[in-house]
Amino acid sequence: MQLPRVLVVDDEPAIHRFMAPALVANGYEALKAENGAEAIAMTASRRPEIVILDLGLPDMDGKEVIRRLRGWTDTPIVVLSARDRDAEKIEALDLGADDFVNKPFSMGELMARLRAALRHHARATVETPVLRLGPIEIDLPRHRVVRDGAEVKLTPKEFDLLAFLARHAGRVVTHRQILREVWGPAHEHDTQYLRVYVGQLRAKLEADPVNPKLIVTEPGVGYRAGE
Amino acid sequence: MSNEATPRASPDALLAAAEREMRGKLRIFLGAAPGVGKTFAMLQAARAAKAGGLDVVVGLVETHGRAETEALVGGFEVLARRNIPYRGRLVAEFDVDAALKRAPQLLLVDEYAHSNIEGSRHAKRWQDVQELLAAGINVWTTLNIQHVESINDVVQRITGVRVRETVPDTALQKADEIILVDLPPDELLRRLAEGKVYVEDTATRAVQSFFKPSNLTALRELALRRVAARVDSDLLERMQGSAIEGPWAVGERLLVCVGPDVAAERVVREAKRLADLLDASWFAVTVERPGRTVAAAERARLEAGMRLAESLGAQTRSLVAGDIAAELLRFARFENVTQIVIGKAQPRRPLRLRRSLADALVREADGVAIHVVTAESVARRMERPKLPASGGAAGYLAATACVALASVIGRLLTQFVALPNVSMLYLLAVLVPAIRYGVWPAIFGSALSFLAYNFFFIDPVGTLTVARPHELLALVIFLTVAVLISAIAGRAREQTRAAALRIRATRRLYDFTRKLSALPDRTAVAEAAAIEIHAALGRAAVILTRPGGDLAIAAAWPPEDRLDTASMTAARWALDHREAAGAGTETLPDAAWRFVPFAGSAEAEPLGVIGVERGAAGSAPFDAESEALLATLAEQTAAALVRARLSTEVASARTAAETERVRNILLASISHDFRTPLASILGASTSLLDYGGGMPEATRRDLLGHIRDEAEHLDAMVRNLLSMTRLEAGALELRRDWIDVAEVLNRAVAAARRRGAQQGFSIRVAPALPLLFADPGLIDQALGNVVGNAVRHTAPTSKIELAAEATGDRLEIAVTDDGPGIAAEVLPHVFEKFVRAAHDNGDGGDGSGLGLAITKGIVEAHGGTVSATSPAPGATLGTRITIRLPLAPPPDMTGARQMEG
Repeated sequence: MQLPRVLVVDDEPAIHRFMAPALVANGYEALKAENGAEAIAMTASRRPEIVILDLGLPDMDGKEVIRRLRGWTDTPIVVLSARDRDAEKIEALDLGADDFVNKPFSMGELMARLRAALRHHARATVETPVLRLGPIEIDLPRHRVVRDGAEVKLTPKEFDLLAFLARHAGRVVTHRQILREVWGPAHEHDTQYLRVYVGQLRAKLEADPVNPKLIVTEPGVGYRAGE
Repeated sequence: MSNEATPRASPDALLAAAEREMRGKLRIFLGAAPGVGKTFAMLQAARAAKAGGLDVVVGLVETHGRAETEALVGGFEVLARRNIPYRGRLVAEFDVDAALKRAPQLLLVDEYAHSNIEGSRHAKRWQDVQELLAAGINVWTTLNIQHVESINDVVQRITGVRVRETVPDTALQKADEIILVDLPPDELLRRLAEGKVYVEDTATRAVQSFFKPSNLTALRELALRRVAARVDSDLLERMQGSAIEGPWAVGERLLVCVGPDVAAERVVREAKRLADLLDASWFAVTVERPGRTVAAAERARLEAGMRLAESLGAQTRSLVAGDIAAELLRFARFENVTQIVIGKAQPRRPLRLRRSLADALVREADGVAIHVVTAESVARRMERPKLPASGGAAGYLAATACVALASVIGRLLTQFVALPNVSMLYLLAVLVPAIRYGVWPAIFGSALSFLAYNFFFIDPVGTLTVARPHELLALVIFLTVAVLISAIAGRAREQTRAAALRIRATRRLYDFTRKLSALPDRTAVAEAAAIEIHAALGRAAVILTRPGGDLAIAAAWPPEDRLDTASMTAARWALDHREAAGAGTETLPDAAWRFVPFAGSAEAEPLGVIGVERGAAGSAPFDAESEALLATLAEQTAAALVRARLSTEVASARTAAETERVRNILLASISHDFRTPLASILGASTSLLDYGGGMPEATRRDLLGHIRDEAEHLDAMVRNLLSMTRLEAGALELRRDWIDVAEVLNRAVAAARRRGAQQGFSIRVAPALPLLFADPGLIDQALGNVVGNAVRHTAPTSKIELAAEATGDRLEIAVTDDGPGIAAEVLPHVFEKFVRAAHDNGDGGDGSGLGLAITKGIVEAHGGTVSATSPAPGATLGTRITIRLPLAPPPDMTGARQMEG
């Protein structure tokens, strides 16, 4: 069976130097691109299963690469970005990137993101009626949430929020994406809703609400549902 | 051969020549009378110059409709004239700016003595020409001899026609060449008869009397003499310039004493003629007596005389002395003056007690010729010297009372004592009003005393008749003494008053200087100066400086933020030419303001100009006194501005030094703090590379973990450095969002644990804590640094508590540890950059000494405060760092529950 191909787009040779062996060790085939144009061409010719994209490229903005790729492919894209550039990350995610990793990053963290993105991509094609999130079972058609065998009462909005997060389990979703989906486009800036509703969900679902594991905050960017 | 033996050029001559090298050259076509063909001669010469390849432009030539002249002008480029509105019509005048812009090699400007229309830049065309010359443009112009200032009155005497358009002699002397255009009088008269000469109205008597053969001959002689003298001085200068050894005698030097009488102007002109005749340099001098008050009219005449002298080329000096003759002679000896010219005024009183100045000079002078110019009787309309103020009715009442009192006392005394001379009492009665109220009440008192003395004490008592002749004599003597005492005491009083006035003026100036020198910066200085100048002169004042090159208002009183174009033009002119301009001057006199430039020192570039407003029409013109005061104030302002600039420079140098110091600490800190983790990483990785094969698995893993930890440490340091830079550059951009504070605390603890903190953490969050509206990333960093700080300062077994609660409209986050605490002397400085506790190996989690400083910066950027307490409240040890952040009004949640059912 063929190994999943990962295209690493970065202009720093040092990054490629440690990425390639790490990817290979994790069972991937590593492809390499050093600028935006090359990245687009490689994606078209080699059809990688996933793209790791650094946003700072010599020839074009990384966000432009996402915009161009999204014109014709839904290959998962994981973005590499500096920690203090939240705005850039959010933009990249809203443009269609699947996840991000702060630079500098640990290899374990990156591999977890890759796995989540690949899994989500595979699942997106098959819509299942029941979602699982750790000990939580979410029955979409019946609007029921069961935790350790006992039903948890959720308001309709809480349920919508939980369902949306669970559908993207393992992946980050931006505030805007959640708000659009759950409350509608008119409320895409009302992040205070999220704070309150996430708080309520955690209180009802988390084993330790002050130390959440099911719904994790990505400060300044959005939320990520744990797996 | 020594240098001394080489003939050397006189520096003055070289300097004069050098100055002329830069300037344009001026050639004057001088004629004895209108109609001799000056303009024609100038145009012909210009045609020749043009044929020789020179760039010749006609600035302005009056052809007076003569075809031959017009034909000549036709061959040149002619500048357009400028139309200036004057009394409802447009008058075409010479356009100085166009000429400056065109800047030809040679410019022809007719009629040097022409008076420009009101609203022009300069009052006279010769001033326009001076500006062109200063700009390096060569100018040719025409002039009739009767327009020369110093021979103006000679011409008037010869012809009986007063010429109003005059050119000062200095303007003529500045000519590099004078070409005499000569025409015999008979020929001129013939041309006049043929109508070839343009005069405004040939029929008028004035013109008829002007063009008389005798007049023309005299004028021709004047012109010829003038040019001849000029040739002499040219030759002399050339000889000096080229250091030709010549047997020239020591030049004559002349001094004219200018007085405040009406003859002053005549004396000055006479002196100028004498100086020209002798080819002498000359001084015009005024001598002021200390303590003597000079009436305004006299002062004006004195100044007019001095100005005239200056315009005729004299060096002017003001001297102060009690003995005028002695001072004049002292000055004369000092300056090697050989000739003194004075005016002889008619004696003021028929009976002269003082000998005249002329007498005194003649008696005391030694080796100096004295010329006495007598004033004509027409010019004898002497104004009465202004007498001191009478002191009002109070003075006379007081004098009467004093005399009455003296009479009563006298009567009483004579009853008991045989007083030989009661008159002494009356002298006392005169002295009191003299001292208190001045001359006139005292003289009134003298007269009254005279009568009372006679009435009460001279036999027959009770009448005004005098029985014994010697008593009459006593009375007369008494009256004389009384009047003299009155006069002396009165004058003493006047002098005291004048002295007091001067002291007040000096005091005012002193206060002005002191006030300005206490001010910290230029704006404050300019403002204070404007207010003071306004107070001193009673006119609106404005100060313009050129902070960015162009003039701009620095301060004005009353406040004003713009000037009209004409005033700004005058201001710029004053600045560029370092001369007063605007209202009351000869340049742009129509401007509403008068501007004087001011500079830090005589050689320095002017810093700006001070303007004072002319005021409404009819308000007092600028008098000499306020002019002098303005000049002094300008000097003081300049000095204060320079001082303010210096102190600003010192301050900014100090700031720069401080910045430099901080940068050095930062660099030292970075190089140390970065090297430590880098050394660990390099050491661990090279160990693994070289010896990893022989190491047990656990050791390898430990080294690898060490590399990871140190790299993370480096990452945190870089983050803090970046934040610090942004904070300091003011480039920190807050991306506010609604934050759950409990989450922030949890994340801070989780991050500390990830970095290996082993302390016991506890989190205490008040129930129903409102959301915080802040930048999530920055708040994480701020709290992370505080927690990191606590971790580093305490032992692994310590406890660290994080607590959050809302008090009013503030959110309070407190991080309390039970470590050793912070020393009292360090406590106030913990939020400063690069401050660390002595035992500490770092602070906010990165060791760069920046952690808490960044926390403070971030919190303050959010409008909050930070504080440190040690020992922690309610404990004997430990530290509490408290962050207080403002709470925004609670967010709108109305839309959140839509469709919740």
